[in-house]
Amino acid sequence: MSSSGNPSSSSGGGGGPCGACKFLRRKCVAGCIFAPYFDSEQGAAHFAAVHKVFGASNVSKLLHHVPEHKRPDAVVSICFEAQARLRDPIYGCVSHIVSLQQQVVSLQTELSYLQAHLATLELPQPQPPQVPVSSSGSLQALSITDLPTISPSVYDLSSIFEPVMSSTWAMQQQPRPSDHLFGVPSSSNMGGGGELQALAREFIHGGQMPAQPSPGTSGSASSVIKRE
Amino acid sequence: MASSSTNSPCAACKFLRRKCQPECVFAPYFPPDQPQKFANVHKVFGASNVTKLLNELHPSQREDAVNSLAYEADMRLRDPVYGCVGVISLLQHQLRQLQIDLSCAKSELSKYQSLGILAATHQSLGINLLAGAADGTATAVRDHYHHHQFFPREQMFGGLDVPAGNNYDGGILAIGQITQFQQPRAAAGDDGRRTVDPS
Repeated sequence: MSSSGNPSSSSGGGGGPCGACKFLRRKCVAGCIFAPYFDSEQGAAHFAAVHKVFGASNVSKLLHHVPEHKRPDAVVSICFEAQARLRDPIYGCVSHIVSLQQQVVSLQTELSYLQAHLATLELPQPQPPQVPVSSSGSLQALSITDLPTISPSVYDLSSIFEPVMSSTWAMQQQPRPSDHLFGVPSSSNMGGGGELQALAREFIHGGQMPAQPSPGTSGSASSVIKRE
Repeated sequence: MASSSTNSPCAACKFLRRKCQPECVFAPYFPPDQPQKFANVHKVFGASNVTKLLNELHPSQREDAVNSLAYEADMRLRDPVYGCVGVISLLQHQLRQLQIDLSCAKSELSKYQSLGILAATHQSLGINLLAGAADGTATAVRDHYHHHQFFPREQMFGGLDVPAGNNYDGGILAIGQITQFQQPRAAAGDDGRRTVDPS
């Protein structure tokens, strides 16, 4: 029969195909690379987004190059990017990156300003202090080339996916109200974008995408995939 | 068969080893001199998926879409585990740290604003500093810097003799403090020169 036992399936050995094979309408063989991460209940909807954006074969090849203990994180990040790309086909998750980057620059400017004032107030003797006037024009020079590259040591995915995990990852187009990454409603392909889209458009036109190599190594898997 | 206007195929058709048609959807965004850009996008997203995605967009939106796809592909190849999510996580971490530092700086600044003694010792300067910090405007800082030029070091203490016309709550306390500080410098010869505060 078509129902074959899958010991590595996360659905407790239910015997049905995983979400990916169910979506692809194919037999779920033992050792299926998708089975541990796309169960037969919610996995089909998650996999639909991944399949549309990345393609099943591309994701399969990518996962094979990732160490097994890192694959759950890889699948979560791939699902996140696929959802972001479907929600915003123009900018995908780049709009979130640009928005966060602008907030960081803004707070850095404000902090420098306050610290300059604190330095003058802490003088032990009544002397004429030198107050540097911080320039706020640096925001205009920020472009896509200022986007950061990866620093593997500070990853904390729980804050990113906490609002996501609490709700279904189905491919519904309705906006999800949240203070986190999904706080912006989805916009149509043809019409003008929201605030995130405007930010992303401004910075993408500001310069070429960064192509410099990352100073820190991102693991043994990247050396296999990365072509220099 | 003559090609329309280009002598060489775009980077996509060159990579895929196919003829670059005049209506090629990749040609405007993958010029022949950027082969790596398409190679990355093709490896992560696949040429057919990108074709479908671009065809669903208005032509004026495709350039931004291609550049964001190229960025995501580059990040995914640099870090196959986290990709762009690693960048988002890093930025969120930086944002949280900055918010903590900013909260500490504001808390420390509020302590100085409540200390009358410090304000008294720097009355004409300190008030401007506190006002500038409270308003958060660069104008106050510039005014302070301009104001500073009228008081060379030798005249700093002479300036304290000017009666305080502002509504600073520590005014009474400040006057008392000035009286105490004046006594040790009674022999100073510069006390005779008094300049009017321009502000």
